[in-house]
Amino acid sequence: MVIRRLFPVLCAVMLLSILASCTPAATTSVAPGPTSTPVTQGPSGGEAQKVLRVWITWGDNPAQIQSLFNKFGDANNVKVEVTAPVEDDKVIAALTGSEPPDILVLGGPDNVGSWKQEGLVTELDDLIQSSGIDLKDIYEAPLNQCKYSGKLYCLPWGTDVYALFWNKDLYEEAGLDPEKPPMTMEELATFADKLTKKDDNGNITQVGFIPDFSWSHDDLYVRNYGGFWYSEDGTKVTLSSQPMIDMYKWQQQFYTKYGADQVLKFTSALGGYMSPDQGFYAGKIAMMVDGEWQVGPNFIKKFKPELNYGVAPFPPPSDHPERKNTAVVAGTVALIPAGAKDKGASMKLLAWMMSPEIVAEEMYANFNLPTSKKAAQDPRFLENEKFKIFMDLMSNSNATTVILTPINSQVNDQIGQIDEQVLHTGADPLPLCQEADQKLQPELEKVQNK
Amino acid sequence: MTSSSQVYPSKHRRWSRRTQHNFVIGLIFISPWILGFLAFTLYPMIASFYYSFTEYHVKQPLVWIGVQNYTNLIKDKLFWVSLANTLYMVLIGVPLSLIASFVSALLLNLKVKGQAYYRVIYFLPSIVPTVASTMLWIWILNPSSGILNSLLNIIGINGPNWFRDPLWAKPALIILGLWGIGGTIVIYLSGLQDVPLSLVEAAELDGANWWQRLTNITIPLISPITLFNLITGVIGMFQYFSQAYVFSTAVTTTGTAIGAPLNSTLFYTVYLYQAGFSFLKMGYASALAWILFLIILGSTILLLRTSERWTYYSG
Repeated sequence: MVIRRLFPVLCAVMLLSILASCTPAATTSVAPGPTSTPVTQGPSGGEAQKVLRVWITWGDNPAQIQSLFNKFGDANNVKVEVTAPVEDDKVIAALTGSEPPDILVLGGPDNVGSWKQEGLVTELDDLIQSSGIDLKDIYEAPLNQCKYSGKLYCLPWGTDVYALFWNKDLYEEAGLDPEKPPMTMEELATFADKLTKKDDNGNITQVGFIPDFSWSHDDLYVRNYGGFWYSEDGTKVTLSSQPMIDMYKWQQQFYTKYGADQVLKFTSALGGYMSPDQGFYAGKIAMMVDGEWQVGPNFIKKFKPELNYGVAPFPPPSDHPERKNTAVVAGTVALIPAGAKDKGASMKLLAWMMSPEIVAEEMYANFNLPTSKKAAQDPRFLENEKFKIFMDLMSNSNATTVILTPINSQVNDQIGQIDEQVLHTGADPLPLCQEADQKLQPELEKVQNK
Repeated sequence: MTSSSQVYPSKHRRWSRRTQHNFVIGLIFISPWILGFLAFTLYPMIASFYYSFTEYHVKQPLVWIGVQNYTNLIKDKLFWVSLANTLYMVLIGVPLSLIASFVSALLLNLKVKGQAYYRVIYFLPSIVPTVASTMLWIWILNPSSGILNSLLNIIGINGPNWFRDPLWAKPALIILGLWGIGGTIVIYLSGLQDVPLSLVEAAELDGANWWQRLTNITIPLISPITLFNLITGVIGMFQYFSQAYVFSTAVTTTGTAIGAPLNSTLFYTVYLYQAGFSFLKMGYASALAWILFLIILGSTILLLRTSERWTYYSG
C-alpha cells in the first residue's frame, strides 16, 4: 500500500538521479575526427600533458610533419598532435565550434579574409610583439598575403610558385626540341596543338595542355596579361577588365579547339593528384602548370621517378616580353583560430614554426619555398637545379602576389562558376564577368564600410 | 466511483484519482522522449524560425532584419535553380523509383525457386551506406572508363558524360537512386501478400488476363501502400543531399565543387548547406529551411487530399 503510493515518487527520484549522473557532454564542435588518424609519437611518461593540436589542410607527408613537430613537443614537454590533410568542411565547422585546433595551417590565404570578417581568426600583431618573431626576416610578398587593413591575421609558412612543366619524351615524339619550352603563351598553344592526339573514333588519347589542370591557375594567367580580378588597392572587383577577358579567351581555346566534351571525357579518366596515374606523370598530358613541390621527394620522384621532364618559367604573352618570369607568390599560411583555448601556447608554437632553422628544415623536406630570408640562404635549396628555377622566380623583380579581400570566399566561388561555364561550355566570358561584377562590387563595399 | 477498467477519462467527467495517477506515471515514463523532443526538435525549430528573421553569422552578434531574408530569397537566382533541380528529382525520380519497386516486388512475389535469395539480393543495395554507394557509382559512371559507358559502347551508343554534362548529371543520380530501392520493394512485397487470393482466382475464373487482374485488383488493393511510399518518397526527395554532395565534390576537377556540373546538382538542401556552412549565412539558411518545410507540408497535404480518389482501403 505504502509502496504503491510512493511509486511515482520513487520513479521521479530514479529519473532525477539518472539525469544528474549524466554530465553534459564535453562541448565539442560538430566536426567529427578528421580523416587521417593523428600520428602521435609524443614523449613517453609524464602525467596529463598539455596537448596542442595542429590541423593542416594539405598532407604531402604527414608522418614527416609529425616528427618535425615532435621536436617542439620534446623540447617543451607538450604533445603536439598533427592532423593532415583536413577537409575544408571540417575546418569551418571547427572554427565556428568550441574546440578549434590550436593552430590551423592552410594551403592558401584565400579564406583568411572572409574568416577574419566572421570573427574566426585571431589578430596576431600584439602576440607577435611578445613572441620574438622577427617580421623583417619574412619576405614581403608572402607576408602581404596575411595583411588586412594593415594588421596581420596569419603568417606565411613556406610559399609556392608555379611554373611550366613539359614532358621531354612527348616533345621529341611530336618533333619539337625537347630542350626548348615555349617562350610565349601563343607558342604554348601552337606546341599544344602538335602534342594533342586523337584516335580513329575521334577520342582524345593525348593532350598538349589543359589550362586548369590540376586546378585553376587563373591568377598566374591573368597576371601575365597584366591584371587581376581586383584593383591593386583591393577596393574594386574587376572581373570584366580586359586582362581577365584575355585570360579567359586564351584558356578557352584549349577546350573548344578539340571539343570541350572530348576534353572533359578525357580528363575524367585521369588518375588522382598523388598517384602514378596523374595525367602528366602518365604521359597523357604533355605540359602542365604546377608548383615547386613537384620537383621534391614527395611527388614526381615518388610516383614516377623515370619521367623525363623539364621545368621553365611560364611564358608571357608575345606582345609583352617585359612580363617574363611573372610569378604569383602565394602559399601556405598558419593562423590561430579565435576560439583557441590558450593563445599564448599557440603563439609559442607559431613562433617556433617561424624560426629560420625550422623553416629551412620543413621547406627542404617538402620542397616548398622558404619564406624566411635567413632560411633561404641554406645551401641545400640550391642543390636541385629544377628547384633553383622556383627560388629565382620567387625573388625576381616580376614576382607578384594575389590581392585579397574579406569577400574572397564568395568571389572565388563566383570565379569558379565562370571558369566552368567559359571552359566547359564555350560561353562568352564578358557578360558573365559583368554580371558577377555587379553582384560582387556592392558586397565588397558593404564590408569595406564596416 | 469509476469502474476499474476505465483508464482514460471521458470528456465530461473530472478525472478520478486513479486516472490522474495513471496519467502522471505515463508522463514520467515518456519524459525522456519529451525532453529529447523539446531539446533536439522543438527548440531548434523555434530557434531557426527566429534566426530566419535575422542576419546570423555564428560568431558575430545577431542582427534583426525582419523579412529581408525571405525577400532576398525570392530575388536569388540560385534559389530558383536549386528548387527546379529538386522538383526534377521529385517529379521524375520518385515516380520512377515507385514503378521500379512495384515491378520488382511483383517479380519477387512470383513463386520461383530461390525466391528468398532473389529477395535478399535485391534488398542488399539499400543497406550500403549512401557515401559508399555514391563512390561506387562514380566508378561505374565514369564517362571514359566506367562500366556503364563501356556497356553502352558495346551496343553502339556513345555514352554521355555523366560527370560534366549538366543534362546528364541528374539522370546519373536517378540511376544511382534506383539501385537502392530495396526498402520500398519490401514494403510493396508486404502489401502484395495482403491481396486476397480469392479475388484473384475469382477474376481468373471470369476470364480476366494478367494485365486486367493487375490493374483492377492488385494495384487498387495496394494503393494505400503506394500512397505511403509516394508521400515518404516525396518528403525524402525534397531533402535530397548526401548523394548529390558526395557526387559533385568527387567529380569536380575545376570550378566550384558544390552543384557541379554547372549547378545542375545544386539541390535545395545542398544550397542550404552551402549558405549556412560555407558562407556562414545562418539566417538566410534558416529562412531557406522554413520555406522547404512549407513546400513539403503543402505537397503532403495536396497528396493526401487528392489521394482519396484513387486509394481504396479494404476492410
